[in-house]
Amino acid sequence: MSETQNSVQLTVDGRAIDVPSGTLLIEACKSTGHEVPSFCYYPGLSLQAACRMCLVEIEKTPKLQTACTVVVQPGMIVRTETPQVAEARKNMLEFLLTNHPLDCPVCDKGGECELQDMVFRYGAAESRFVEEKEHQPEQQFSPIVYFDYPRCILCFRCVRVCDEAMDVKALGIGQRGVRTLIIPNRPDGTLECEECGMCIDICPVGALTSHQYRYKTRPWEMNYVGTPCAHCGDGCKTTLNVRNNQILRGNNRDMTGINGEFLCIKGRYAGDFTHHPERLRQPLLRRNGQLQPASWEEALGFVAQHLKEITKRSGPRTVGFLGSNRTTNEENYLLARFARTVVGTNNLDHHRTADFAALAGALHGEPVRYAASGDLSRASAILLVGNDPTHNHPLLAWNIRSAVRQHGAHLYIINSRRIKLRRQARQLVEIPSGKEAAAIEALHGAPTDISAATQQELATLRAALEKESDVIVLFGAEVFGSAVSRLVEFSRQLPGVTRYIALGDYANSRGAADMGLLPDRLPGYASLKDALTRKKWEQVWGAALPSEPGLHAKQMLGGNQLRALYVIGSNPVRTFGLPQTREALGELELLVVHELFLTETARLADVVLPAASAYEKDGTFTNTCGEVQRLKRALDPGAVRTDFEIIRLLSYAWGTPLPLRSSEAAFEEIRQHVRGYRVSQAQLVAGQAVRCAPTSGHAAADTPPGLVFSADDSLFTSGTLGRYSAALNSVSERDLPRSRL
Amino acid sequence: MPSILKEAAETAFTLAKGFSVTLRTLFRPTVTENYPDEPVRFEARYRGIHVLHRDENGLEKCVACFLCAAACPVQCIYIEAADNTAETRISASERYASVYNIDYSRCIFCGYCVEACPTDAITHGHGFELATYNIADMVYRKEDLLAQPLKPPRT
Repeated sequence: MSETQNSVQLTVDGRAIDVPSGTLLIEACKSTGHEVPSFCYYPGLSLQAACRMCLVEIEKTPKLQTACTVVVQPGMIVRTETPQVAEARKNMLEFLLTNHPLDCPVCDKGGECELQDMVFRYGAAESRFVEEKEHQPEQQFSPIVYFDYPRCILCFRCVRVCDEAMDVKALGIGQRGVRTLIIPNRPDGTLECEECGMCIDICPVGALTSHQYRYKTRPWEMNYVGTPCAHCGDGCKTTLNVRNNQILRGNNRDMTGINGEFLCIKGRYAGDFTHHPERLRQPLLRRNGQLQPASWEEALGFVAQHLKEITKRSGPRTVGFLGSNRTTNEENYLLARFARTVVGTNNLDHHRTADFAALAGALHGEPVRYAASGDLSRASAILLVGNDPTHNHPLLAWNIRSAVRQHGAHLYIINSRRIKLRRQARQLVEIPSGKEAAAIEALHGAPTDISAATQQELATLRAALEKESDVIVLFGAEVFGSAVSRLVEFSRQLPGVTRYIALGDYANSRGAADMGLLPDRLPGYASLKDALTRKKWEQVWGAALPSEPGLHAKQMLGGNQLRALYVIGSNPVRTFGLPQTREALGELELLVVHELFLTETARLADVVLPAASAYEKDGTFTNTCGEVQRLKRALDPGAVRTDFEIIRLLSYAWGTPLPLRSSEAAFEEIRQHVRGYRVSQAQLVAGQAVRCAPTSGHAAADTPPGLVFSADDSLFTSGTLGRYSAALNSVSERDLPRSRL
Repeated sequence: MPSILKEAAETAFTLAKGFSVTLRTLFRPTVTENYPDEPVRFEARYRGIHVLHRDENGLEKCVACFLCAAACPVQCIYIEAADNTAETRISASERYASVYNIDYSRCIFCGYCVEACPTDAITHGHGFELATYNIADMVYRKEDLLAQPLKPPRT
């Protein structure tokens, strides 16, 4: 690095380094590979200088200095490993241990405890203090969080992360002096918070521990599998801690992945749905009106025979497929291929939780304008239309908060609710529910039916946005169809490069749309009407494609046009609010469901095939921002099969085997042929999130209303999976009104 | 024939020497143990089948810290930990071992587990009769290893 005005030269342990001015000494030391121990210092949080562990020697300074509060100065000569420093750290440890019980054999943090590591390194386990240790019984703050007062070394990381980074402010500091302790926010000594577990994760000792991991095992006894989270659409990487084929907890302490160390309750503790007792373990077949266990051969044979018969008798247009928001890209692709080439129908859809197709269409002809999740935390201005990221997109909300807190980003919100992010916003325009499209028209200056006062506010918002540059626009399911194009038209005029994120609900909502689980779009949003594109895909798939757009989800579900419905990993009865009867789905002769649990839809089915969850299979997910990540299998699925396998076996039973033998082969085909998915395999295999950017090459078609809607899960619900997670069901905040959090 | 005489003398000497050892040993105390007809005597530090001890209140000393499993060079110890509750208290601490298995088909009786134990919960006992026809029987469960509960106090 050459010396510029903004860089400072200093010497750390005899090595000259250049760091940007304003860097903290502790970070400068870390950049040389000399890790200075610290308990209270945490990157990104305010400074505390409470633990005194980071003392270092600075030449010409008479006393040792705390590296976490000293800003680098030119010509500084720093030593981090002298006998004096080691002695000082040892003595600091002795102070920290005055009240620490050293009950490592019992403590859950044993084996991954920063204090334990330091005592091992500097040796201060023998105390000279004779005073009796202050003891208080352990407290359970919430169904997630336990607090053990004697173990706390008062670094206040938890208090700061909850206040500054999470903006929850649920933890505080009580009492004074030797009796200082961490207190929760409810008067009865319990927590009311987002239960994200950040305080537990960040605690350098075992003062805050989780209920889910409590006294279960030890860090060295588990397998660690880093894979994208199976819940919301943000695609956080969670390192699953697995023992005995059971997920005990998740975390991301190695900070790989797009989320850094951040995870919400779902990523950390809601992997427990995988071993819920009600999990389906074998195929169910309806016999004499009852769903009864059957063998795989029997079930698949039944499905293939009846599906084929109905296709032959009433035509392929009477067969419909509903895909999933939580199956992998490969499975979605295979389903699209199966439905279109083997069955020969375009009746293919899924619960669309954001109008990705409209965005791809609106960005038609432009260079790639998708923002990645990490771009948000570096953004200078953000416009959010609809959605409640705090609940639906915890990582994006975290990134937005970091952008505002650390870089002074300007956040503008148009929403029908007073969502929590308003606390970070420069301006919140509250509009009547369902008037998002009108608000976008008002931004254009067009006449609308919303009140004059709101229009005035929107005019102010527009004026403010016009002064910003490089705005990132986020929009939820409230904005769909032509409103997306109008929003893009408006924001395109703003200065700088405007980028977009459509906010979809589930782990692979984006992937489902990208892979063409749409009645009128082929993979990569290629239009079905375009003969050239259709021909290209006919060549790839080696079969003729039906050219007429199929039925969309709503038409399939209530229209009486179908004889057979094939549902994969979704629960349309509940999502589309249908009565729980078979008649509500139309005059179906066959209903097949792939599911993990016996959902409302599965209960009505003729055949239920037990499917593997995202933690039990390989493949890729695309998060809502368009970042592709590879799944790693954490659990042995046992007798259940992946959706990929089921569709493949079905194609064999049908008599037209699909040639894709593995999800790797399917992904290679996706890479070759789906626009924007030509991503680096090497990066994927290395566990990175690789941006993909499907642009349709075809202008947007308008989306009929009622198709794109968010399930609007809260922090503590997650579709079907959330209902079977003991951790999510245990927290009391689940029943609170959302505005309380 | 001096060679024949010499040979006879040597034979006699060798016999006498050999039988002198036999005769000497005949009057020494017996060291052979009549196992299995009589019980076996052990040295105090003999490393036999492990014993999981109880404290003075009859509670298990093991707190399921997993250090024995970590120290074990052959990974023969398998533990599952659990939480003590007010109703069922198994150990004196907050956690206890709900499952504690030692696989004696792997154990090499090195004693590292005993050294690692922070609560002196595990020691080597004097049990050694491990032979079995079924290798699955070599896995000893906590119930097999646990010391007998103390007699209830006299009332």
